[in-house]
Amino acid sequence: MKPHPRSLVFLLFSLGLIVFPHVNHIPVSIFAYFYLLLGWRWFGLWQPAYLPNKSLLLLLTLIGMALLYREYQGLFGRDAGTRLFVLALGLKLMEINRERDLYLISFLAFIVAASQFLYEQNLLMGAYILLVCGLLLATLIGLNSQDPKPIGALKTASLLLAQALPMAIVLFVLFPRLEAPHWMLLQDKQQTKTGLSEQMEPGSITDLGQSDELVFRVNFAGAMPPPAQRYWRGPVLSQTDGKRWTQAKNKDFGQFMAQPEFKGQRYQYTLLMEPRAKNWVFALDLPAEFSGALRRNSHYQLISSDNLDKRTEYQISSYPAYNTGFITRTEYDNATQLPGEPSAKIKQLVNQLQGVNHPPEFMIEQLLTYFRTEDFHYTLTPPLMEDKPIETFLFVTRYGFCSHYAAAFVYLMRVAHIPARVVTGYQGGEVNPVGNFLEVRQADAHAWAEVWLTNKGWVRVDPTAAIAPERIEKNVNLDALEMGREIRFSALTEQNSAVYHWLKQANQLWHLVDYQWQRWVINYNTVNQLKFLSSLGIANLQAMLSWLVGIIGVLTAILAGLLLHQKNRAINQTLRSYQQFCQKLAKQGVVRADHEGAKDFAERAITQLPEHATAIAQITERFIALRYSRQGFIREDLQQLQYWVRKLKL
Amino acid sequence: MRAELKARFKSHRLFAGEPAADAPVILTHRRIFILPTLRGLSFVVVLILLWLIAFVYNNNLAYLLTFLLGSVFFITILHTVKSLSGLSVQKGRVHPVFAGEAAGFMLHLNNLSNYERPQLSVTLDSTEMLSLPAAGKAMLSLYSSTHKRGWHHAGKITIASCYPLGLFRAWSPIRFDFKVLVYPKPAMQESPFPDTSPMAASYGINHKGSADFYGLQTYQPGDSIKHIHWKAFAKGLGVYSKHYGDGSATELWLDFQQTQGASVEQRLSQLCRWVLDAERANLRYGLVLPGLSLAPDNGAAHSIQCLEALALF
Repeated sequence: MKPHPRSLVFLLFSLGLIVFPHVNHIPVSIFAYFYLLLGWRWFGLWQPAYLPNKSLLLLLTLIGMALLYREYQGLFGRDAGTRLFVLALGLKLMEINRERDLYLISFLAFIVAASQFLYEQNLLMGAYILLVCGLLLATLIGLNSQDPKPIGALKTASLLLAQALPMAIVLFVLFPRLEAPHWMLLQDKQQTKTGLSEQMEPGSITDLGQSDELVFRVNFAGAMPPPAQRYWRGPVLSQTDGKRWTQAKNKDFGQFMAQPEFKGQRYQYTLLMEPRAKNWVFALDLPAEFSGALRRNSHYQLISSDNLDKRTEYQISSYPAYNTGFITRTEYDNATQLPGEPSAKIKQLVNQLQGVNHPPEFMIEQLLTYFRTEDFHYTLTPPLMEDKPIETFLFVTRYGFCSHYAAAFVYLMRVAHIPARVVTGYQGGEVNPVGNFLEVRQADAHAWAEVWLTNKGWVRVDPTAAIAPERIEKNVNLDALEMGREIRFSALTEQNSAVYHWLKQANQLWHLVDYQWQRWVINYNTVNQLKFLSSLGIANLQAMLSWLVGIIGVLTAILAGLLLHQKNRAINQTLRSYQQFCQKLAKQGVVRADHEGAKDFAERAITQLPEHATAIAQITERFIALRYSRQGFIREDLQQLQYWVRKLKL
Repeated sequence: MRAELKARFKSHRLFAGEPAADAPVILTHRRIFILPTLRGLSFVVVLILLWLIAFVYNNNLAYLLTFLLGSVFFITILHTVKSLSGLSVQKGRVHPVFAGEAAGFMLHLNNLSNYERPQLSVTLDSTEMLSLPAAGKAMLSLYSSTHKRGWHHAGKITIASCYPLGLFRAWSPIRFDFKVLVYPKPAMQESPFPDTSPMAASYGINHKGSADFYGLQTYQPGDSIKHIHWKAFAKGLGVYSKHYGDGSATELWLDFQQTQGASVEQRLSQLCRWVLDAERANLRYGLVLPGLSLAPDNGAAHSIQCLEALALF
C-alpha cells in the first residue's frame, strides 16, 4: 500500500527535529549531508521525478561511506554508532516505496533519538525527545488511518504516551538494573569525563556541584579526620588573567624546595579512585607517604601513572598539620603574579583591610571578617560576572560560591603583597556507615586558598568557610540538602528590580528542579536502586519482579477498564435526553406509545401542543439525526439536543 | 486420538469463530483475538536494541525511553482491542446468483461507541477497508465467488484492525447463518426449446425468445416491467406496454429428460438457460425434473421458483 503523502510530511518533519540536537556531536559534513538528503526528499514530495534512481542511490551511499571513512572513529562506540545511524536514516529516506520502509525509518529514528541521551541527559533534552517521539508515534498512527488527520493523530499519540508514562516510571524504578560487564563498555577515543578541570573560572564548578557521581572512596586504617580537615588536594592554580585561573607551567622544582615537616596525627588510608579523565589523585592535605605508582609534584599534589579507565587503589598517609618551610623563587613569582594594575577601588579596600605595619595574619583575619560581616552570600547560582569578575563580585553582586571567594581572596592577598594561590580539590565526603568509609562525589568539588607565611610555610585558608551558615543559600553538598536544609531565596539588598528578583527566583527554582532530576533520574543506578527499594522493603530480585508484575497488572486493569468500558455512552446520552423530552410531554398528557415512532409521536404532540411546535420539531429532528443518520455521532448535535430538551418549558 | 485432537483444534474458536448466529453480533473480548504483527515483532527488536544501548552505557534516559516505548507497545494491545470492541455486526440481504458469479453478502456495521474507528478491514474472499465515525453506521457488500449451484455459505467473515500503531492486529472471526442460493450456470449456447407439442415446438423453434410483436397497449397493473415501452415513456407519451404474441396460446414443458448433456450439471445448465429464455419471451412454461413438476406459468415469481428448484435439485 502506498503511504499517504501527509504522513510522509509528518515523518520528515519529525526526523528533522530528531537529528537536529546532534549538531554538536557529529561532524559537520555528516550533519549537512543528512539535511541535504532530507531536503531532497522533501522536495521530492512535490517533484517525485527528481528523486534519485538506483544508480544515483548507489552513488549517494558511496558518498556517505566516504564521509564515514573520512571522519573515521572506529567501528563501535557512541560516536561511530551515532554517525552510522544518522547516515543510514538519511539514505533510507531516498528509498521509500512501501509502508514497510516508513516503519523502518521510524524505528531507526527511535534509535537516533535514544543516542541523544548518550550526549546530554538534562531535563530539557528529555522533554524534547519525548515531544519528538510523540511526533513519530503520530506518524505511525497516520499510517494506520485511511484519512490521516494531523491533529487527531497527535492527540492519540499524546494520549498513548500519557497512558504509557506511569507504566514506564514503574519499569524505570523496578526493572532490575545490572551493571554492564567491563568488556561491553564501548569506549570512544575522545570520551569526556566530568571532573575537576585544569583551570577555574568562577562558575565552572557549578556543573560539578550538581553531579552525584562518585570520584573516590577512602578507607581509613585508623581514625578518620574531623570534617573540618577533610580537604582533598587537587591541582594548584596560581596563574590568573583576572578571570581564569590556571596551573603554573613549571610544577617540578622539588630539588629547590624544603622538605615539609609533618606534625601531629597521622592518617593512614586506602584511596580507591573511580575511572577518571586526569591522572590526579586527591590525597588528604598534605600527603607524606604514598605507594609507588604515585609521585608528588611541587604543589604537593599526587600524580599517578596508572590506567585511568580502571578503578585503582592507593595507600597514602597524610598529616593535616605541617610546615612546608621556605618559599622558592618560582613559587614566590607565581604566587604574587597579578594580571595588571589593580583598580583604585581594590587598592583602597586592601589598604583599609591591611592597616599599617601589620603582619599578613592580620590582613587574612580582616578579609575573612569582611566577608563575614558584609552582605556576602553563598549560592550555587550566582549572577553572571563577565567583565572584571572579581571586582563585580566584591562590590556589586556579592553572590558566589567557593571559586568566587577563593579567587577574590587570593587576588586581594596578592595586591597586599602576600604570596597566595588557589587550590582546587574536594572537601568533605559522605561517611558510609555500612562500610565505614568516605565517599567523595563530584558535588564535593571545592576551591580554597593557600597563603605562604613566614615560619609556617603554605597555610590553607578557606574563605568560603567564613560565610555565616545562615547566609548559605544552598549547600553544594547533596547530603545537606537531603537532610532538609531550607533553601532560602534571600532578598537582594541592591537596587535590583522586581523582575530581576523574579528571574533569579525562577532560575533558582529551575536549578532545584534540575538538581532533583540529576539526583533522582540521572543517578538512579544499581546501587541507588537497591538502596531505594530496600528502604521500601523490596529486598531481593524476586520481590522486585513480583512487585513489577503486580503494579503493571493493576495499571493495565485500570487502563483496560477506562478504555474498554465506555461503549454505548453516546447512544445512551442521546436516548436519555430523548426520554426526558418524552417525560416532559407525558406530564402534559401526551404519552408516547411503545410502538410509536419518533416522527409520528412528534406530529401527534404538535397537534396537541401547537404552541411548542418548533421546539418539538427541532428536538425530534435532531434526535433522529443523532440516532439514525449515517453521518455518525456529532458531539455538538448531542449538546444542542440536551440544551433544547432542558430549555423546553411546557 | 490424533484425529480427535485435530478436530478439536480446528473447531477452536480461535480458528472457527463463535458458532453461527442470526442475531447482530457485538464484538466483545470473547470474540476478539490479538497478536503482534510482523512490524510489532520488529518493534520488539528495536526495543531490545534500545535496552542494550541503555545497558551498555548505563544511561538512565535511554532506559526511560526504552521503558516508555515498551509501555506504549503494551498499551497498544488495549487500544487495538478497543478499535473492535463494541462494534455491532449484522448480516444484511443477499441476492441469488448464477454459479460462477460473485455472490454479494451485505453486512451492516454499527459503531455503538462515541469514538471513531479509523481503519477496519473486513475480509471474506477479499478485504474491504472502511472507517466508521463515532456512533456511525456503514453498510458494505462482501463478494465471494461461487462455483457450484446450491446453497453457498458465506462462512467466516473476519473483521480486523491494526489501529493505532500497526504493531498489533486484533481480529474477530464471525459466522452468521448467512447463505445465498446459487442457480446453475446457464448454458452458453442457445439451443432450441424442447419439442413438447408440435405446435409449441414449431413456435419455439421459430420464435425462441422473440414472439410476434402485436402492438402497444396502455399499461395495466400486472404487466411486466420489461415490456414497458420506455422510449415512449421518455417522450412523455404515457406508459405503454409492448404486447407480444400471447404465450397463453403456448405451453412449454421444460423437461429434464429432453436435455442433452453428459452430466446432470450440464442438463441443469441447459434447463436454466431455457427458463431464462422462456421467461424473457414471456412464454408460459412448466418445469419437469425427476420427482418434481412445476405447472406452466409465467412471471418473476414462477421463474424464481423454477430456478430454485434447479439450484436445489
